[in-house]
Amino acid sequence: MPNQRFPKIKILHVSPHEIKFILSETDVSMANTVRRIMIAEVPTLAIDLVEFHDNSTVLNDEYIAHRLGLIPIRYQPPDSIKGGDCHGAFLPHRECVCYERCPRCSVEFELDVEFDAAMRHSMALNEETDVLAPLTVTSRDLRSNNESVHPAHFLHNEQDESQDDGIAIVKMGGGQKLKLKAIARMGISKEHAKWCPVAVATYRFWPDIIINEEQVATLTMEQKQELVDICPDRILEIDPVTGMLQAVEGAWDMATYTEDLKFCQDALKKRPEDDDFVRVEPSKDKFIFSVETTGCMDADEVLLSALRVLKNRLNYLAQEVENLKETQ
Amino acid sequence: MNAPERTASFLLDEDNGEMKIVYTADTKIANSGTFRFNREDHTVANLFRMQLLRDNSVRFAGYFHPHPLLNYIDLKIQTNSSTVAPIEVLSAAIEDLSNETDHLISQVTDSIEEWRKQNDAGAISQF
Repeated sequence: MPNQRFPKIKILHVSPHEIKFILSETDVSMANTVRRIMIAEVPTLAIDLVEFHDNSTVLNDEYIAHRLGLIPIRYQPPDSIKGGDCHGAFLPHRECVCYERCPRCSVEFELDVEFDAAMRHSMALNEETDVLAPLTVTSRDLRSNNESVHPAHFLHNEQDESQDDGIAIVKMGGGQKLKLKAIARMGISKEHAKWCPVAVATYRFWPDIIINEEQVATLTMEQKQELVDICPDRILEIDPVTGMLQAVEGAWDMATYTEDLKFCQDALKKRPEDDDFVRVEPSKDKFIFSVETTGCMDADEVLLSALRVLKNRLNYLAQEVENLKETQ
Repeated sequence: MNAPERTASFLLDEDNGEMKIVYTADTKIANSGTFRFNREDHTVANLFRMQLLRDNSVRFAGYFHPHPLLNYIDLKIQTNSSTVAPIEVLSAAIEDLSNETDHLISQVTDSIEEWRKQNDAGAISQF
């Protein structure tokens, strides 16, 4: 108990696909643990088994099975509009008591597309169709047996730019047919990357911009301006009233490359051993996180789910340590 | 052919009696020992190490992940005095981290709610 920390979280931005936040008052080990869990240990659904009934497309069965596996599968709890955490809603198939599979540990998808039938259908609807153009089978053609589970979809703005209405699986021509049954299961991306809920999960260190006012006071206005101009990220400015050098508002978000600043101020120093005018150092206890999901879950759910995974893991290990104490 | 099982990195081999944690006391150094965490990696090992190093009664804490294909980590702990066993500091560290995670969960929930309040309900869903 004596060494407990109380970290703080500040949200910068939340959208269904992206979350940005600042984690502070803890150290890198916690930041890195959260990042690693978001990437590798958050449970999601993904297609894991595929039964082919008919495949006369140009791609072989394995190739299509692999493409199906990589489609993000979204679990949306019945009373929610968010892509939720599927932990709790499903059981890992290895822990389920059923014989082979059941609705508690798996979701079945069916796909049955025939080029000629699709052509006849769109002709009957009097749509303008080019009978020679290939037909794209997409994630939209997958029919799920669970109302809460569907392949993840484009956002509206992405849809406008896309030529297909879903994630492309295979293109087919006249006379070709694809019929299959796909089984999605819950898993973690330590087993296979298809279960990874995030496309990007990174953190960077908060830049501490330290200005040595005493040293800066020895500089002329031109020299200060030189320091301001040399920084490619423009993180410094001169206070119009006092003429002091200061960090601009939001400098933390812009500071990336500060080597030029270092070279420039070394040239400005009267003696090489003089203190730096401006130092930009990575903070030891403040981290700027940026997480983007694949669409299988909402971004805030990924973060919360990662923390719950960590919590469960720590409880489990604490219990194991207790057991170990007793046996000693 | 010789590919490891897909589950090898996280699923404990209980059929062969594999234990999650195995403790070996050091025979040469007093108050020290090595914990082998089976099916664990840097994720928790580094977390434990850093937390242990913040404890004043810990003289040494370090971990070792011998090879990417070996799915265990060895965590070595030495304490300052014989009154505190390595297992005691480890269990205190895990408890602190568990409380820290609890605190983080409530922080995240609260700050997301607050952010949503401030940034109207327009961004609820784009789906």
